[in-house]
Parts: sequence; structure tokens; C-alpha cells
Amino acid sequence: MGEGTTTRSSLFSQVLLLAAVILFCLFPFYWMVLTSLKTHLVALQTPPAWIFDVSFSNYSEVLFEDNVGRSLVNSLIVAVCTTILAIGLGAPAAYALARFEFKGKKELWFWFITNRMVSPIVLALPFFLIVRSLDMLDTHLVLILIYLTFNLPIVIWICTDQFRSIPREIDEAAILEGASQWRIFRSLCLPLAAPGIAVSAIFSFIFSWNELMYALVLTRNQAKTAPAMAVSFMEGYSLPYGKIMATSTLIVVPVIIFALIASKQLVRGLTMGAVK
Amino acid sequence: MLQKNRLKALAAGAAMSLVLYPATASAWSLEEAAEPYAGTTIDVVFLLRPGYEAAKEMIPEFEEKTGITVNVTDMPYENALGEQVRDFVAGGDLDIALIDLVWIGNFAENEWIVPAEKFMNDPELADPELDLEDFFPLTLDAFGSWDGRVYGLPFDNYSGLLFYNSCMLEEAGFDGPPETWGELKDEYGPSLTQDGQHAFALQSKRNETQSADSFARMIWPFGGSFLDEEFRSNLTSEESLTGLEFRQDLMQYMPEGIVAYDHAEAVNALAQGDVAMITEWSSFYPTLANPETSAIVDCLGVAPEPEGPAGRKPALGGFSLAVASQADEEEQAAAWLFIQWITSKENAKQYLDLGGVPARQSVYEMEGVAEEHPFVPALVESWQEGVPEFRPRFAEWPQITEIVQEWGTRMMLGEVSVEEGASEISERMEAVLEEAGYYDGDKPLLQ
Amino acid sequence: MQKLRQETQGFGQAVPPAQSAELIHTNTISRGTKFGFLGPAVISLAVIGLAPLAFAIWTSLYNYNLTKLASMRFIGLANYANVFSDSAFWQAMGRTFTLLIIALPVQIAVGMGIALLLHRPGIGFLKTITRLSLVIPMATTYAVVGLLGQVMFNLKYGVVNQLLGFTGVSPINWLGVPEFAFATIIFWDIWQWTPFCALVFLAGLTTVPPEVEEAARLETKNWWTILRNVQLPFLIPGLTAVLILRTADTLKQFDMVFTMTRGGPGSSTELISLLIQRVGFRAFDQGLASAQAMVLLVITIVLSRLYIRFFYREV
Repeated sequence: MGEGTTTRSSLFSQVLLLAAVILFCLFPFYWMVLTSLKTHLVALQTPPAWIFDVSFSNYSEVLFEDNVGRSLVNSLIVAVCTTILAIGLGAPAAYALARFEFKGKKELWFWFITNRMVSPIVLALPFFLIVRSLDMLDTHLVLILIYLTFNLPIVIWICTDQFRSIPREIDEAAILEGASQWRIFRSLCLPLAAPGIAVSAIFSFIFSWNELMYALVLTRNQAKTAPAMAVSFMEGYSLPYGKIMATSTLIVVPVIIFALIASKQLVRGLTMGAVK
Repeated sequence: MLQKNRLKALAAGAAMSLVLYPATASAWSLEEAAEPYAGTTIDVVFLLRPGYEAAKEMIPEFEEKTGITVNVTDMPYENALGEQVRDFVAGGDLDIALIDLVWIGNFAENEWIVPAEKFMNDPELADPELDLEDFFPLTLDAFGSWDGRVYGLPFDNYSGLLFYNSCMLEEAGFDGPPETWGELKDEYGPSLTQDGQHAFALQSKRNETQSADSFARMIWPFGGSFLDEEFRSNLTSEESLTGLEFRQDLMQYMPEGIVAYDHAEAVNALAQGDVAMITEWSSFYPTLANPETSAIVDCLGVAPEPEGPAGRKPALGGFSLAVASQADEEEQAAAWLFIQWITSKENAKQYLDLGGVPARQSVYEMEGVAEEHPFVPALVESWQEGVPEFRPRFAEWPQITEIVQEWGTRMMLGEVSVEEGASEISERMEAVLEEAGYYDGDKPLLQ
Repeated sequence: MQKLRQETQGFGQAVPPAQSAELIHTNTISRGTKFGFLGPAVISLAVIGLAPLAFAIWTSLYNYNLTKLASMRFIGLANYANVFSDSAFWQAMGRTFTLLIIALPVQIAVGMGIALLLHRPGIGFLKTITRLSLVIPMATTYAVVGLLGQVMFNLKYGVVNQLLGFTGVSPINWLGVPEFAFATIIFWDIWQWTPFCALVFLAGLTTVPPEVEEAARLETKNWWTILRNVQLPFLIPGLTAVLILRTADTLKQFDMVFTMTRGGPGSSTELISLLIQRVGFRAFDQGLASAQAMVLLVITIVLSRLYIRFFYREV
């Protein structure tokens, strides 16, 4: 398998392999969209139909009768707000971890990162009990805050590396000119760290958009997010596959479009937390 | 027997309240009663099931008459208990509790629900036509009452029925459904299981379906039960084990992977002509009789569940609605008016026609009802006698059902033998009951 | 591993940490400034993350049942004793690690293969499409993956059995038979995270200086030699990230399994998070669930510590 001497047959096998990868990645997505366009009876045909009369009734039903539209708006509000908050809190902290020396720094960094590892099931019920005593159940704010437990670590993880990759000479020069740390951070380093910020924002958004467990426990009506909504159609009494897949499509398509647009940054970011 | 006495006391109490206020009774109307509460919003959890769809269609009429807004949150059954418990613990918004019969002990002991007498004794709120005695005694007792007090009024009511594909049965040479479980297994089973079709499907998924539809359904007809009189496990008794062994044996006539079947899968298997018989809740009749969801509309037959050696002990399930104690006085009053209205004699026919299953005896005596709704005779027969503690209804049930679900499915999968499974459940169940204080006399033995 | 790590560091010298400047730097920064930068993040995460944790530790010492708050009482470590002697807990833990141990090597190996394939020159258009396709599984909502699993792997209405039928395989009851259900979970885990691995490795491969790679190619045509000696050092950081994230995410895995099998049939797919959810939210035994959660937390922390100590340079 020499790289330089690409023979026709190796090219062919490459194309075949790539096609297999594409098919593997896309087929479930394709099937989801296909099923969402089936009426109840068509969705329950054996064997499953590939060609049928397309119907958008599932979409109109979930959007106009079942409040999925509203849950998508809730998801958007929560994901955007928590991302902004995570960046606002996390970027300065990451800068400090990258630049300053202080006792317990290692421990602090580790503690931040560990929060990303903690299973939501550990915090879900205590959080519920605390939130109810504050009378804040079923509000966006609660989700925005609790999503920080996994978004803040991501921001700090990625941005610490990003800040570290910015040459210190820049800071040094500015300090000699009498600039304050805060100004150095805001006017010099932050713009240079934009790629890292962007990547961590993308990740925060995707993770928040996709989150299920906290949303299930902490919301009911007002702040119910789209994944929690999709799960609530799973009643053992009927098999509304078309409806569930329509909701799923509505949840997944925006985040996939977003991820595709940001895919360049996303791929770069995948190594950022790791490359040291 | 205890049940009967309890019921008499209930009925007497209700009658008393009516006798006490004969003068106001005649002048009562919903519109007037609701006047002080116009503008109140009441919150309730509904399930994604036919009875609730029916109720939702009726709600606008109530809202128009009263000015009270009914705020419904839809929820799958499997989430409904957790959601309500969390809401009540948190002092949340719910003004009405939706109570599956196995939750009532839990809700009542925690005082999350208000005894109905508070409202029945209030002439401003009590509809003189309330007539508790019109409810099937079994449903009022099992779904709505705890420790001799009525809390909830039966709303979404089920009995297990045998649904069958009469065409398949005829083809195999049977002119009717099986009378006993033994017949079902030994005669219908072999003849109807062939060419990828199966005689029977018993939904057994590991959730409440396993406990209620599969496990309990098989122990009772064979004389078994969950608990004996001292509240020790009765699952290792010969009768209970016979029932569970029977279930194991019956599995050869069921489709593969039956432990993954929930209601929808079982109903659909019958609807598509893949199985000949299922035992399912009465509320599935509309699904099976609707050509849009069923391919066997013309072959559909309904009968009471088969009998076992201990008689006919059909699965019993159902929901009542009760006023939540966390609601303030106005919301409580509004909630009561709604509960009383939606379960009333007057509305029973409409509820039935829209796909609900009311528990009012009077509606089933009406002319033509049995013809319009062919499942009615079997249902009425099933409700004549039944076991309220088909599944124990005490506060410990949520813990115990988890145990039954786990070991019940493992038993079916053959991971443990029936005896091992039964003794595992017994041991764990008794540990829960011990902890709750049933064995040292701290707690009355109520189920 | 030690050797590789040194090599990584060697290659990573492009951005050397400025040790000397750091010393000057440090002296000039006041505590107040440091606090100004770190304080908000630390305080908010402490309030949001630690307060519930403290509460969970407290409940783990009590007989704390949500439906029996009236009979709540202190029982010391009894819940923990229960966890350690409870076979269900350790079986669920075992299943969780089985999933990790089977799925992760496949994800890494296949991911590496895809990355190498994409790294080769030529047919750029198709490779761009492949790269974009790889983004889709990892961005898909985990709960949706599980719902999709219900639809695609259904015994009767599922497309998977239909496709297998074309190759002559008779229908398999994916979600109804314990072993197959577990296999289905492994499949989805691989589907969702192999692309992630591929993209991480691809990004790592692009950090290899082209001249180094070309020099190596002049010496040998063997791709394995090149991978091992030239490319691997650049892949180590990505590999570390994959190991840490996949381990943590498998211990957290809930959504996909919950929406597809709910842990069934039987207990065959009941991973640790599902077990804790069942105890805490369905049996309402919050004391026991908290104790289980604490044990899980300790295991998670120990594991991530080990990983980080093993693979990472210090901060």
C-alpha cells in the first residue's frame, strides 16, 4: 500500500471504504427522516417501507398540537444562555490557570475538570430538592445554571490550553508598558484565543442542547426542553414511531447544521484540550 | 369480606352527607357552585391514553360552564408517579392527584391527597347527584379508597379482558375463546402456534407491565398472592409457584422476546394477526376496533379473562382523581368540582362514547350501550368480583414493584429458576416491609 | 509509554513554556487580581456543583425515602454497606465497564483507520464529504439515538432486520434478547463515537510536520512503521483525550440506553446510571441512591486522576 504509487485498484478500494464510512454515518439519520414522513400505519408496516406517500402530518401534529415548537425554543434559550455564561466565567479562569502561579493550582484545575466527569445522576435529585426549596423548579434559569457543571469544565479545559499557546512575550511587553492584567486579558489575549473560545462555545452549545436527565427531573411545562419532550411521547400504549422520529428530526437537524457549519473549528478543538 | 364492610361504611357516610343537606341539594348547579372560583386554574397530570384524550375533549365544556381553567400536563405512565411524587414533596403546582390504584396507599399515608368527605359534606360543593353507590364498588374501593376512606373518584378504569382473533380461532377449530387458563395453554396453545404465528402474547416488559400484567395476572388465578395474612411473602407458596410455573410453561406459545413486550407490542401483535389472543386492559378496545390501527376489526372478539383453579381473577387496574392537599382552598374547591363533574353519572355516556371507560354502573345499564361498545358485557362481568389488592396498594409498592419487575423478568428469561426468583423477591420484599414496620406492629396491615 | 511521552514533548517544543518569564510574572500579580479572574468560576461551580454534592453525602447517611420523609432517620454507613454487598450494583458496574472495554478499542482502531484513510492525499472531494459526515453521529442528541434504536432495531418494523434479511439472515430479536440488546447498545456507542475518534486522530495527524513525514516515507513504505515511529507520538494527546472522555462518558451513559431499552430486557442493559436512577427515582430510596452515586463518583475521580497522572504533564 504505497502512498506514492496509487494504483487504480487501491483508489477504487479507497473510494469504496470512504463510501462505506459515509453510509455508516448517514444511514441512521436518513432513516430517522424517512420514518418521520410516514403515517402511523406506514410506520408500522412489515417489512418497513422505503417508498411511500410522504406525509408531513407528524410534523404538523408535534409542532402545533404537542408544543414541540415551544420546547425547541426552550432548548435554544437554555443552550445559548448557559454557553455565554460558561464562557464569561470560564475564560478568565482559564487565563489565570494558564498564566498565574499559585498554591493548589493543579488541584484546582483537576477539580474543574472532574466536574465534567461526574454523572448527572449524582447531582440530579439533590439539585431538585434544593431548587424546590428556592421555588425555582421548571424555570430556564435552573437549567442554565446546572448546565454549567459540565460546560464550565469544557471551557476551562480547552481555553487553558489555548491561552497557554499564546506566547508570554506579548503579556510581558504589555506589562512593561503598564497595562493591567485585566486589560492584557481582554484586549490582547482574548482576541488571540478566539479559536479556543469558539470551540468551547460550540461544545457547550451541543452538550446543552442534547442534555436529557436534568431536563427530565427539573422541568415540567414551562421550561421543558426538546429532548425531554421527545422522551415523553414514549408511552407503552401505542408506538407513535412517526411522531417520535419527527420530533427527533426537529431536535437533531438544528444541532447538526450548527455542527456542520462549525466543523472546521470543531475538529481543531478536538485536540485542543489534549495537546499540551 | 373486610372490603365489603368497608364499602358499606363508605356508602353510609356518603348517604349521610346527602341526608344532612336536603334543602340546598335541590338548588345545586355546577355553574352556581363554581361562581366563587371562576378564574382559578387547576393543574393535573394526564397520561397519553384513550381515557385522557376523551376527558380532554370534554374539558372545554367544563371550563365554559365554570370559568375554571384546567391545565393538563401529558406524561407517559412510567414517568407519572415520579413526577407527582416530586411535585408533592416539593409543594409544587399540582391541584389534582392522578392515582393509579397501587399509588393510593402511598399518597394517602403521606397526606398528599384530601379525603373526599371534606367536599362531600360541603353543600356548596357536593353535587346531590354524586351518588357514590353508582360506582362499581370494586372500582371505588380499589382505585379511590384507602383505610376505609374515599379519596379519589374512579376516572380511568380498567379490567383485564381476553381479546381474541375469532377468525384464527375458528380456523383452528375452536368455536369460542378458552374458559380456563389450562385450556388456553393445553388446547389453544399448540393448535394456534404455527407458521410464525403464536397463540398468546403476555406483555411482560420490565416496568409496571411486568408486575401488573404478567406476574400478578398469573399468581392470582392459581390461588397465589403476594402476601399472606401476616404480611409475609406468599410467593413461595405452592399456589403462587404453580402460577409462575404456568407462566413459564405458557411462554412456548408466545412470540420470542416477550419480556420486551409492552402494551403497544402485545396489542399490535393481535391487531396485525400475529397472535391469536392477548389479555389486555379494556381500554384497548377502541384501538383494536379501529381499522386505522387494526387489521382484524372484523375478527375481533372480547371475553372475560380465563379462569384458573381459584376462579376468575382478572387483572385489575385503574386511576382515580383526588384533590391534592398542597392546593389552596380555592384550588381545592375548583379541583373537586372538576373531579366530580368528569366522573359524574351525567357525563358517563359522553365519556364512554369518546373512548373513556367510566366506572358508573348506570351507564352500562343504558339501552344500546352493550351493542355500541361490545367490550361492555365482559367488562361488567369482570368488575362484579375482583381482588382490590391484586397488587398491594400500600406505600411500599413502588419499592416492591421494582423488585418484582427485576426478578420476574429474570425468571422469564431463565436466568434464575422460578423458585429462586420467587424466594429472591420474597426475601427482598420482606426486608422492605420489615423496614416499614409491618412486622413489629408499628403499622396496620393494609393493602 | 514513558518513551513516547518524551517524544511527544520533544515534538511539542514548538510552543515552549516560558519558564523564566513565569517567575517575573508571578511576582507582579496581586492576590486580588488572581481572585478576580478565578473567583467567579470557582464560586459558581462550588455553589452549583458542591452544594448538591454535600446534600447527597448527607442523604446517603440517612434512611431517606422520598415517599416516607416522615420516617427519615440517621443510619450511618448502612447504605454504603448495602452498596458494597449488593450484587445488582456491581453487576451494573460490570456491564458499564464491559461496554467500555468492548466498544473503546473498536472505536480507537476503526477511528484510526478512518483517520489514516482521510489523511492520504487524493480524492479530496469525497474526503471532505466523509469528514462532514463524521460530524453527524457525534452531534446527534443521545436520547434521539436511543429512540432511533427502538425504530431501527425493532424485531418486526426495524430496517436492520430487513437489511439482514437481504443477506439471508433470519430476523434477530435485537431488543428482546438480553445478549442482543447489549450488543445493540455497543453498536450505537460505536456508531456515535467512532467518528469522534476518527476526527480527533485526523486532527492529530495534521500536526505531524510534513517534512518529517515525507522524510520517513523516503525511508520506508511500510505504513505501520510510519504510524508507530513517526505519527503515533503526535496522536498520543488525542488518544489521551479519547480515553478520558470515553471513560467518563461511559460511566455517565444514560440517555441512549434509557430511551432504547430502559435497562432491559431483564437487567441486561442496566448500566450504572440507570440503576441509580431506578433506585432513586422509581423506588424513591434516595439514601441508597445517594450512597451508590457517591461510590460511582469516587470510582470516576480515581480513574480520571489515574489517567491524568499517567498521560498528562502537570498544569
